[in-house]
Amino acid sequence: MKTNNKIILTCLVAAPLLLMNSCTKLDENVYDQLISDNFYNNKNEVLSAVLRPYTHANAWVTPSGQDGWWRPSELSADQLAWPTKGKHGEDGGKWKRLHYHSWLSDDGPLNNAWSLMYWGMGLCNDPIENLEKRDISKMGITQVEKDAYIAELKLLRAFHYLKLMDLFGNIPVVTKVGTPAKPATMPRKDVFNFIEKEIKDNIAKAPLHSKAMTGRMSQAGGYAMLVELYLNAEVWTGTARWDDCIAAADKLISGAAGGQNGAMALDPNIFDQFKSTNDLSKEAIFSIAYEYRQAVFEPSWTGEFYHFQQGPIYGGTRNGNDGVVVIPGVFTTYSDSDLRKRGWLLEGPMVRFDNGQPNIASGGNEYSGSQVVFVDNIRKNKIGSTVSNMSEGEENSGVRFNKYKLGNSVPGIVNGVPVPIDPNYNNTDWNIYRLTWIYFAKAEALMRKNGGVANAEALTLINTCKQRAFAPADFVPYTAATLTYDELLAERGREFIFEGFRRDDLIRFGKFTTASWWDHVPSASFRNLFPIPQVQRTLNVNLAQNPGYN
Amino acid sequence: MVLHLSQARNPLIIIDGIPGGNLDLLQQDDIESFSILKDGSAAAIYGTRANAGVIIITTKKGKVGPSRFDYNSYVRTERLVKRPDFMNATQLRERIKSGEYVIPDLGGDFNYFYDLINDDNLSHNHNLAVSGGSQTANYRVSGNYRDIQGFAKENSRREYGLRLSLTQRGLKDRLTAQFNVAANFNNANRLGGGGWENVLTKNPTESYFKPDGSPLFTRTITNEIARLSLEKNRLQQQTSSVDGKLTLEIIPGLTGSVFAAHQRDWTISSEYRDKNSQNSLEDSNAPGGGYAARATGLSQNFNVEPTLDYSKSFGKHKVSGLAGYMYRYEVNEGFNANNRGYVNDLFEDNNMGSVPVVVNRIGIGSNKNDNTLIAGFARGFYSYDDKYILTATIRREGSSRFGANNKWATFPGVSGAWNVTQENFMKDVRWVNNLKLRLGYGETGNSGFANYASLVTLGGGGIYLFPTGEYLQTYGPNRNPNPNIRWERKQETNFGIDFTVLDNKLSGSIELYNRVTKDLLDTYTSPQPPFIVSSINTNVGTISARGIEITLGYLAVKNENFTWDIDFTGSTTRNRLDRYSNDEYKRDLKTFGGIGGFGALGDAIRTYEGRDLGEFWGKRFAGFTPDGKWTFYNRNNEVVSNAQINTSTFRDQTDLAVIGNAIPKYYLSLTNNFRYKAFDLRVFLRSKLDYDILNTMAISYGNKNGAGTNLLNSTFTKYAAIKDTYMYSDYYIERGSFLKVDEVTLGYTFKLKGVRNLRAYVTGQNLWTITGYTGNDPDFVADTGLGPGIDSRSPYPSTRQFLFGVNFGF
Repeated sequence: MKTNNKIILTCLVAAPLLLMNSCTKLDENVYDQLISDNFYNNKNEVLSAVLRPYTHANAWVTPSGQDGWWRPSELSADQLAWPTKGKHGEDGGKWKRLHYHSWLSDDGPLNNAWSLMYWGMGLCNDPIENLEKRDISKMGITQVEKDAYIAELKLLRAFHYLKLMDLFGNIPVVTKVGTPAKPATMPRKDVFNFIEKEIKDNIAKAPLHSKAMTGRMSQAGGYAMLVELYLNAEVWTGTARWDDCIAAADKLISGAAGGQNGAMALDPNIFDQFKSTNDLSKEAIFSIAYEYRQAVFEPSWTGEFYHFQQGPIYGGTRNGNDGVVVIPGVFTTYSDSDLRKRGWLLEGPMVRFDNGQPNIASGGNEYSGSQVVFVDNIRKNKIGSTVSNMSEGEENSGVRFNKYKLGNSVPGIVNGVPVPIDPNYNNTDWNIYRLTWIYFAKAEALMRKNGGVANAEALTLINTCKQRAFAPADFVPYTAATLTYDELLAERGREFIFEGFRRDDLIRFGKFTTASWWDHVPSASFRNLFPIPQVQRTLNVNLAQNPGYN
Repeated sequence: MVLHLSQARNPLIIIDGIPGGNLDLLQQDDIESFSILKDGSAAAIYGTRANAGVIIITTKKGKVGPSRFDYNSYVRTERLVKRPDFMNATQLRERIKSGEYVIPDLGGDFNYFYDLINDDNLSHNHNLAVSGGSQTANYRVSGNYRDIQGFAKENSRREYGLRLSLTQRGLKDRLTAQFNVAANFNNANRLGGGGWENVLTKNPTESYFKPDGSPLFTRTITNEIARLSLEKNRLQQQTSSVDGKLTLEIIPGLTGSVFAAHQRDWTISSEYRDKNSQNSLEDSNAPGGGYAARATGLSQNFNVEPTLDYSKSFGKHKVSGLAGYMYRYEVNEGFNANNRGYVNDLFEDNNMGSVPVVVNRIGIGSNKNDNTLIAGFARGFYSYDDKYILTATIRREGSSRFGANNKWATFPGVSGAWNVTQENFMKDVRWVNNLKLRLGYGETGNSGFANYASLVTLGGGGIYLFPTGEYLQTYGPNRNPNPNIRWERKQETNFGIDFTVLDNKLSGSIELYNRVTKDLLDTYTSPQPPFIVSSINTNVGTISARGIEITLGYLAVKNENFTWDIDFTGSTTRNRLDRYSNDEYKRDLKTFGGIGGFGALGDAIRTYEGRDLGEFWGKRFAGFTPDGKWTFYNRNNEVVSNAQINTSTFRDQTDLAVIGNAIPKYYLSLTNNFRYKAFDLRVFLRSKLDYDILNTMAISYGNKNGAGTNLLNSTFTKYAAIKDTYMYSDYYIERGSFLKVDEVTLGYTFKLKGVRNLRAYVTGQNLWTITGYTGNDPDFVADTGLGPGIDSRSPYPSTRQFLFGVNFGF
């Protein structure tokens, strides 16, 4: 028995000790996620990392329904607003703060914009670092491909900084993931110089624009960024760069930067830029490319613009949150003969695409059970109120977005003619830069150089664009006498409505903080920049606040 | 009590000395006793899993003697307490007629709320246990069948359970082997039980059906009634646990034991939506095709725990020691698929390959992750004459979840007790029967957050156009790695007095505790740049809970025919976010409690560094303007419009103020047990006092501005003045305090020959609530966790439950 005891004792003591030796390992096993050390093994993996920032850019550069770059750029300006409509849209007062220019230095939506944009920037930094440190033989790509990917990513990173600088001015510039831990504010002028140098250093190594570069940053996107930089250089750095702006624009106009569909040119039809096959546009420079049938990657702006029952108007299935509307009076700045008026905006009673019958609202709001009618005013018509401000909207308030079209997913009838299902339904790309915008920028630079007077070339540029919006009989070309700065600003508004540039335009024309529109009165000049989000400043003591904010 | 920021955690269940039990596998009838381990120092030996407390359960065992049969059964039904006070068709018509509300009268009179309720619900439960034992072995086997019919239609669960326990001793009682097997199989119907908000807010003059009887679908709002007949949502689950423990007395005083356990939880969920269901008809990718989904999941854990135990007495000195090792591996995996466009409703989710795969219709996914927890632990115990008791524990614990440098941490615990009544000077103090003072300190760690937080991982970023023209998945970093992430540490100090006085009639304990959780694991905002994504899992801040709990038991009457005893517990705790910054990360606030509903009203609760948890921060209502617009006080107490209110998070700028606290200050309960001859009666009262609730139902449905739905009757009385949009302010903060008659049970025990035990009883639960709160049942509003105090817009109706049962044993 004694021996037995000893054996048992030995076993009992030894067993745990043996276990201890072998079982103190605490490695993590990863089954369903990738670790970056194991990635970049072939061209497809490389591409999947290079293209990651583009899907992210959908979130911040397009009106995606998130607080990114687009909302503060448009909803603080004189064309668009998101008024409270009945029970909807108070949303913590954030739309009013944008409209009234009363945003706070700890405004959540502005921090969200900062966060999303720097996130995208980080998604460029990461593959740049990984590509630079890896050998091409291990990645299955050529040196030329590697250089082109890095150049493309550096241009795309510069694009993130360009838009960050646009909103926030003085910002930290970081080109490595994680370092420095607390990057300091860089003055706007230096940020400008960094962006300009990055573009110039990399543009030649980036691919020319082509079909294969659809939805990506190419040399064309690079030159468009330079056009934007130089067009706003006077505001952003204090030094005008009109000749540089014209030179960069000419690279695009001449086709030297490539084209998405053959030689770059203006689309003859003003609606071609915005339809479901707009990837075939000749004037596309840089866009976010959507594809629904194969990729289920669809435009995300419907939430922002569409009424709760907007889908049936187009024979589509997508509806929205009844959010962004056109500020009263903007609709009537388009003449009735302007094809853009009804082509890009929705006003009046709405009918269904599939059967031509009235489109009926449902969902328990003011006009549930009645036809959807969009009106060029923002007030409570249902109770006969004439008070018009950011708080007093209702379900049908305001003229609506109609610029981009998704196509129809059900057959319908338009003017008595049957229309089959659009095979490209929901594929519509979102333009970040298009050639029309370059034409306008060059024309403006020519005018600015010329003391505010449009020379013949500037007139041609603008008239070439504008004539597409009129039947030949209705078109009245601009002359040097009619194309004033004010008129140019107004025409820019009509042409680029919803495209995200309005705040910049108002700032460049000196109106952003000094003009009044609808429910907005002049604010203070420091509001030309948004504040550095306070959350970021508490996390990083090296960030300085912009002047005027505390 | 709130002890963590990262996620709610469950207490450790110890069943028959075996940690990590699953309450699903336990039937009430199998439980012998149930207690909660309060002392942090005592919990320290159990380590991280005891971080949220320890519940100790002893199950019934076979006993020496003749074999026994026990049968227990009950039937139960649930009855509605009250329907939220929305207008009926008649009331709505009055408001339309008076011009107070403009909404179409569609001619009908419907109250679909009642059509979601299963009026005839009757649940029953049966449990049969057989047990027996000899000097060297005992066994108990119990089987359980339960059929739960929900209060809501299409909401039920049927389950079968089995529990087997066997203990055998050998080697002259020096070796004990103990085995438990428990399994539970259940099938649940999960389709119903929701949709309350939709039916309440539906225009009561409008039918869900067309004149021909077919359902009416309006795209924006779910037809809750048609859904119940056109969709299916089922869950099958099998949970099982097998464990065994061998204990050997090696030499007198020294025992060694090895415990091993395996638990397994396996689920299949099945969903199908008919071709003519609303969801199928309104789907844009496969309109009019059926929808099927199936998901399976398997969670398993494996445990091994060898220990050595030594104890010895030397006269009045008693010492004992324990040393052990624990290994626990947990692995979870799952698979799911869904597809649309099924051309018949026959296969449901049983033949999902029967239609072609189309990109926009199909969804497929799978996942797997695991983690390992390892610990070594030791405990020493010393007592002198049962008067002075000292215990010290130490546990070294490691988790795979932490960064390479911080996987391991050490957690000590120490406690002492003084049995005052054992002292000579107490001998003459006759009225004190027992008095014990306890003081303890213990630390436990928390590793309760997602796996892989310390690694750089890449995640799918959505599909994009590749230069080949194909659309393929993109990949990029999806989290900020934190290789420094480490254990969260809870330090708990307890002081307790246990007493029995007045001829053993009054007993009780007073417990003072201070729980400080340091290095809080939380998802924290990360500075961008240089970090890529906006949050990082890290250790920041300190949270504390300090309070007192009093438990009293009083034997009021005891004689041959009548006994009456009273149990009371009361507690109060102060929860505070002491710090929410460290050297690296500086923030002073976290917000909780999403208000939800229309108008995106944001979070109701702001917790600032140095302030109590659960504080509502909002606008202070100052009245309505003559035209019904909100006005509020700003920080200078001036009356201003909503647009002029500064909602900043800076405390020196904001116009928002503390307008309430959602965590009850006091929790009280009182149980009275009476026994008169063969009758027994139990009355259980429960109360939460001194706290606030945000009445979200009133915010959203007590406001006619912009509304086109059915509304609360109070819209036109109490809230008639509002002619403005939805607003969060102290206007909607109400006192939540309540007293509830939670349970009354009346039983009768029969004395019959040959029958060991026969008792019949009736129980009523949730019988009566006294409260000033005007929203839903305040007891249903969360009062713990991080976003407490927000009432629901779609409350599961409060019900009274009535139960009739018998216990029968021979």
